[in-house]
Amino acid sequence: MASFTQTLRRVRVKPNYETIAWKWMRYSAFAMIPLVWGHMILQDVIVGVHRIDLDYVAMRWASLFWRIYDALLLGFAFAHGVNGLRQVLNNFIHGDRARKVMNWLLFLFWLVITLIGGAALIAGVNRAFPLP
Amino acid sequence: MSNLKTTLAGYITYRGREGHWSFLLHRITGLGVVLFLTIHIIDIAFVYFNPDLFMKAIEIYRSTLFGIGEIFLVFCVFYHGVNGLRIAYLDLFKPQGWHVESQRRSARWTLTIALILWLPSAFWMLRNLLMHNYGLFGG
Repeated sequence: MASFTQTLRRVRVKPNYETIAWKWMRYSAFAMIPLVWGHMILQDVIVGVHRIDLDYVAMRWASLFWRIYDALLLGFAFAHGVNGLRQVLNNFIHGDRARKVMNWLLFLFWLVITLIGGAALIAGVNRAFPLP
Repeated sequence: MSNLKTTLAGYITYRGREGHWSFLLHRITGLGVVLFLTIHIIDIAFVYFNPDLFMKAIEIYRSTLFGIGEIFLVFCVFYHGVNGLRIAYLDLFKPQGWHVESQRRSARWTLTIALILWLPSAFWMLRNLLMHNYGLFGG
């Protein structure tokens, strides 16, 4: 019986965009568990939508901690969501050209919504302070 | 159009049992959450761009229909999170753990944990909804 020697060669492949996106989806999951669950349990369950109004948002965003928290949520969750949407659409859209168009549209979609959310987060509630 | 048909037929007719179900649940919950998230970023942005419209959006969220949707949304976030942790942990740290048998068990546990996390929240949100919209529990 012939004996075989196995030769292992370690290859370092330069990560491309898809590799980075793949890793991002997974690493961001660990960050988002406390961020998203915390946000959701606090706002949807403990506070509840019936007690949320402009005063509430203004009070919350008066704290730098919550603004940074929300900025992290916006950055992590929406990018994760749009990339997930891209992966789903990849199952349905197969042509190179069509995928290119799709990628650009999704990128613009992500950028516009993130900028809108970021602008509001920085500018805050639009009315006179101090609150009545 | 044939792409759509082929892919959707694959989604439905693939018979991978637990793996198949958790794939579908992960997709559906993920799509549901990203749909809501998009709307949510825009409605919160109204606090700056158009405060009156923000209060209109909040009024819609307070309706019974959206209240029920919110309860399902919370399930989506819990399930997608627990299942996402399973995927991330295995892919990044233990790729040799992707075994059909153990992952069948693991997929069932994922759903169980998500339900256990969701039920207290769902109960409390339903209570809030009945309290504010129907005057129950002294609301």
